[in-house]
Formats: sequence, C-alpha cells, structure tokens
Amino acid sequence: MKLLTVDDSRTIRRVISGVGAMMGYEVLEAEHGMAALELLEERADEVGLILLDWNMPGMNGLEVLQAVKKDARWQHIPVMMVTTEGEKDYIIRAIQAGACHYMTKPFSQEDMAARIMEAMGMGM
Amino acid sequence: MSETTDKLINALRGAVNEVMGTMAWCEAIAAGEKVVNSLILDDEVGGMIHVGGDVSAMVGISCNKRIAAELCSRIVGLPAEELNDEDLLDGVAELANMICGAMKSKAAVGHLDLSSPAAIVGQQFQAQWKTLHKTHILAFELEGERFCVHLSA
Repeated sequence: MKLLTVDDSRTIRRVISGVGAMMGYEVLEAEHGMAALELLEERADEVGLILLDWNMPGMNGLEVLQAVKKDARWQHIPVMMVTTEGEKDYIIRAIQAGACHYMTKPFSQEDMAARIMEAMGMGM
Repeated sequence: MSETTDKLINALRGAVNEVMGTMAWCEAIAAGEKVVNSLILDDEVGGMIHVGGDVSAMVGISCNKRIAAELCSRIVGLPAEELNDEDLLDGVAELANMICGAMKSKAAVGHLDLSSPAAIVGQQFQAQWKTLHKTHILAFELEGERFCVHLSA
C-alpha cells in the first residue's frame, strides 16, 4: 500500500515522503489536484491514503477531495487534509466532504507518523 | 498601533517559534523589534504573502542565504549543499506560508485569506510594499544568524 501526497510545495512533499519512508511506505507525489486525479486513474489500487493540501493552483484541495469522494472507484481511499488552513470552518467543510483526518502545518514528523497510522487504521 | 495589528504581531512572534521549532528543530530567539515607514526586504532571501479578507496586510520574511539553506535542509532532511536554488525558493515560500498560516490561526482576527507565497533568492534584491501604514520588523536569531519577519498592516 502506498501513500499519495498532493501538495504544490516540493518541500512538504519531501517531508511527507521522508515520514512515509521511515514508516516503510512508498510515497507517490502529485504537485497539484489534476496531477493527483490523473495518477489515481492509473494507480488508485495502490493508494492506501491521500494526504491533501488545501491551497494549490488550479483545483483546490476541497475540490480534489470532492472529486475523489464522488468517484465510486476512489471513494474508499481515506483522505487526510494537510494544510496551513486551521480555521474551524475549513475543518468542518473538509470533514463534511469526506476527509477522515485534518492536520495543520507546521507539524512534527512524529505527529505526522501517528496521524498516518490512525488514518490507515492502525491507531495507537 | 491598532488592536488588530497588535494581535497579528503577537501571533507572528508565536508563529515563528512554532514553525522553526516544529519543522526545523531550532529555537528562534527574539533579537529586537522596530517600526519603519515601508516594508522593504533587502536580504539575499525573502518571501512575501499578501493577507486579505477582514484585514489587509503584507507579511515578509528575510534572511541571508546561508541560514535559509540551513533551515530548508533541516526541514527536508537533506544536506544544505544538495539543495539548489529551486529547492531554496520552494522552501522559503513554504516557510512564509507556514508562518502566515500559524499567524492566522493564532491571531483570530476574523476571516483572513492568504495569497500564494512569493519567494526571492539571489545575490542582492530589494522588494518594496507601499502602504499607508508602518511596517513592524521582528528580528530573531537563529543559529547565530538574523531572521526577520516584517508585517505591514
């Protein structure tokens, strides 16, 4: 099972890839929402968790989340928002749209690893 | 200074500490504050974000290239010498983004929209934000080097 990080920041994709690798997961990367959906078209069966930024060029994270949850082929894949947007309104909208977890930047590697485990159904 | 500006500055102080401590494992030590007439970034590395919504403001960060590379290296876990200018631009932009995001959460001054961050890396640069308001400069010491956050609101 692989993780998919969707973030326009290469820095954050690298951080998440590092945490994933530490946990023994291969991490797929997409630099924007359209690239993420294209990747899911081909490799959705490999993806066990999507880590999704909110503010990105083109489709924002909420639109990507809605597209994932609308598609019967992908709606089972858990989605964790990973974003600088920490306002309650954003969190509610994401959860209502189907996100299972919400994490705000900045985050420690330990917190990220723990949230990934929870989201993958291996909560401590 | 308005109550809103005061809240934003207090939030920025905490935001810089939180981002540096959490993402780069280093301590940002307060190293002075001043108020100037205009937001001018003139170090080798800078990042800017426009704040809209209930408050109109510009937030900038500036530092020298060595400390920027060190911070980015710590964040991504790669040696600083392996980072190219594109990595540095992305890292500085993300630093500005995380600092402003944390400021937004801590300040609680209504709804704030943040623009995408702009980052500049180079030998010499000067970026200016013209405003009717004063600019507050918060200086921090990181690993013996100066790191500044500018707020014009």
